[in-house]
Amino acid sequence: MIEALKEAKEIYKYRELLRNLVVRDIKVRYKRSVIGFLWVMLNPLLIMLILNIVFSELFKVSIPNYTAYLLSGIILWSFFSQSTSTAIVSFIGNSNLIKKVYMPKAIFPLSLILSASVHFLFAMIPLFIIFYITDVHISSNIYLLPIFFIMITMFSFGVALILATSTVFFHDVRYIYEVLLLAWMYMTPIFYPESIVPERFMFILQLNPFYYFISIFRAALYMDVSMLSEKVIYSFLFSVVTLVLGWLFYNRYRQKIIYYL
Amino acid sequence: MNPIISLKNVSVKYRIIIEKPKTLQEYIIQRFKGKKIRHDNLIAINSINIDISKGEIIGIIGSNGAGKSTLLKVIAGILVPSEGEVKISGKISPLIELGAGFDMELTGKENIYLNASLLGLSRKEIKERFDSIIDFSELGDFIHSPLKSYSSGMISRLGFSIATEVNPDILIIDETLAVGDEHFKKKCMDKIIGFKQNGITILFVSHSMPEIKRLCDKVIWLDKGNLKMLGKSEVVTESYLNQSAQMVNS
Repeated sequence: MIEALKEAKEIYKYRELLRNLVVRDIKVRYKRSVIGFLWVMLNPLLIMLILNIVFSELFKVSIPNYTAYLLSGIILWSFFSQSTSTAIVSFIGNSNLIKKVYMPKAIFPLSLILSASVHFLFAMIPLFIIFYITDVHISSNIYLLPIFFIMITMFSFGVALILATSTVFFHDVRYIYEVLLLAWMYMTPIFYPESIVPERFMFILQLNPFYYFISIFRAALYMDVSMLSEKVIYSFLFSVVTLVLGWLFYNRYRQKIIYYL
Repeated sequence: MNPIISLKNVSVKYRIIIEKPKTLQEYIIQRFKGKKIRHDNLIAINSINIDISKGEIIGIIGSNGAGKSTLLKVIAGILVPSEGEVKISGKISPLIELGAGFDMELTGKENIYLNASLLGLSRKEIKERFDSIIDFSELGDFIHSPLKSYSSGMISRLGFSIATEVNPDILIIDETLAVGDEHFKKKCMDKIIGFKQNGITILFVSHSMPEIKRLCDKVIWLDKGNLKMLGKSEVVTESYLNQSAQMVNS
């Protein structure tokens, strides 16, 4: 327990490295593409366009403002899926450094989560443009957005820590996670309305942390969501518990990591 | 005076797993069959006691696999020893591999910030040292170009400059002195001698006995993980060379 707190202090001490890693990640990713950073915004728009064409006939009746519904779901899900699936190899991928220089290792998954959340913020710009175009009014719950942001970042970091640590010992974790992500995506109301989920399967939604996150995200932006305060509490619990578990898990095994890299 | 580096009964054991399960499937199958995962303990360093005072230049010698790198990793905090206690008081700058943290897509300037922060420096500390790092590396205008356009000599020069301008209390050098041309090599040597005068502790691993003799006050001789000899550099290098000569003859 004390070790875990010490490691958190180490991360703070190495905050300049964290900053540089985040900046590096953002710079390098777009350095070679022609329109660079615009891809962050264009990418979810294009995915949204495709899914819109595929699904709009199916769900148009049951979901008002389907474009806004779809795009908000896509950018949230791609933040989570992309950040965790890059973070999963962050210890293996930086083995060269970890073996040669001392640093608190958790800084690698953390930097990836943070740079993904910067992308997430930029991807919000086209979302607001779509809101404007399709005449969607911003919710009065918009104050929830910063709280939501902190919660989803904590949750993703917790997941990333568990994944990155276990992948060092068992490389197949990353392949299992790939499949798991796909299943998880279909279990989350990203492009379908939650009303189409039959009553007997509702428990799947209720056990899915992402169901609460996505509901709060949409509620903060524009949608009327039932039992919002309850959902906020669940999201808070999910994010705190996941982060604490991830942190303890990482600290339990972090000294062994170097022997397996 | 308290030692700046103090190792008490430090051992490092690697578990070498025979038929290591690489995948989860293999792991589960092996468990299922009731086959225990067999492993051997390889003792990389064996209950070593060393105290090093501030300002000493210590050479570390030994044949391949003697545990030199493991010892450095323990001192640098990369490896936590299986047994024993390590006490370090001061900032360590490892020169284990020059430029290990460089990103080829970034410019020299950006890499200075990245690499120096990897050594634990704050933004302010990096800014203060920035100009002298560039000066020492002699890279000139190349500092604004991405590292992929550098020659390997230039990359090593930048790495050496960053690691030494960090102003460490303890500098670890693992056979990396052979960087750059003769002119730069001499500059590096001068820098190290300057460090010695400023009371910086240096750990120096090398196979070159003349270099060890020239630089070091004391030498640690490791043999199969054990501390074989610790003493004045002339004495230890002499007996090391004698033993090597005997091994060749026999």
